[in-house]
Amino acid sequence: MADVLSAYSIQSWLESCPQGYLEHTEYGHAPGEREPELLFDNPVLHAETIRTTVQLVLGERCALAASSGLINAAPEEASKRFLATQTLDEARHVEIFTHRLYDLGVKREHLESTIQHYANPNLVKFAEVLLEKVDRKDFIAGVVGQNIVLEGMAFSVFEMMHALEADLNPKFAHTLSGTIADERRHVGFGENRIGALIRQHPEKKAAIERMQKEMSYYMLATFADAFRHNAAAAEYKRLEQASVIDEHHARWQGVDLAEMEPEAMEQVLANTVLKEFKIRLGRIGIDYQTPLRP
Amino acid sequence: MDLFEGEIIDREAARRHYVLDDTGFDEVPKKYRKFYRQWRGAGDSLAPNEVLCPVCRVVIRSSRELRVGDRVYCMPCMSRLVIVRNAATGTLEARAEH
Repeated sequence: MADVLSAYSIQSWLESCPQGYLEHTEYGHAPGEREPELLFDNPVLHAETIRTTVQLVLGERCALAASSGLINAAPEEASKRFLATQTLDEARHVEIFTHRLYDLGVKREHLESTIQHYANPNLVKFAEVLLEKVDRKDFIAGVVGQNIVLEGMAFSVFEMMHALEADLNPKFAHTLSGTIADERRHVGFGENRIGALIRQHPEKKAAIERMQKEMSYYMLATFADAFRHNAAAAEYKRLEQASVIDEHHARWQGVDLAEMEPEAMEQVLANTVLKEFKIRLGRIGIDYQTPLRP
Repeated sequence: MDLFEGEIIDREAARRHYVLDDTGFDEVPKKYRKFYRQWRGAGDSLAPNEVLCPVCRVVIRSSRELRVGDRVYCMPCMSRLVIVRNAATGTLEARAEH
């Protein structure tokens, strides 16, 4: 245990993150990079990009509240230090995605009303389930909810978005790369730190499994809303057919996302995330609970 | 996914050694960067000195050929891993030790 905990060092975080992949970046991307003009010229793509970015801001605000709230619930110093670095990671994510909204033309005085307008209610419920555990200072359930369920979801969502954006929007793809690197540490902490605690507190398993099932349902409902009511994919297809933009491909999980209908993309993402949950939870001794499908 | 029955871990047998170069991986402190690289997804393949971290999907690179029973450390996600042979595919892979 001492060896595992010794890795949670501020010095290591400094050398890996600010002095590593974030060196020479501003708001997570290379200085001077801009959002593509197409997003400003096309009202459908503009609105959908703002809608998607709002969900990222909401998810990261939840992660910030959870990781900061868990610091004082952590049973030992090393976990408190790790969660302090994670808190800064999450605050940075809130900032870079908020800044993207500004880059997309959202006025600072309209930030909160824009977030309220586009916020997905299922994502809000997802966050509420987690933050209720955090408010009760339930460290084990909080870390499973935050670092395995929320971060596991974010890891796959960011990877999928990165595949979609790599050719279309290098600025946003670079922003996502840094957040994916952060998520590696966060999911690692969830698995490495919680496995031993679950073995010490088997009585907590049932409540954690219920939480996972509930959070998973709201996650799937968020995906359903995001994909089934998203006009961006059809608009990109229309622009390709009209030769306004080049045909593009986005390979992820063995499929070409750019060729798929939104409902099929939703299934790929949902199945990938749920499979990851099952594997990650199994490694720490939690029995994955199949959620209802919205 | 475990040791094959009767599989002998011969740590003395000669192993191939590898000179590790910098692959541009920048998610760990500088002196450790050569030990990792990004997984490039379908179409990518692992060398005999490489294994994929099951927790964070980064490729871990060793300066010598990996064998069953070896322990490796994934610094990007801070996971301790042991090398096992997948009984179904016969390939080596890493298993997290939580």
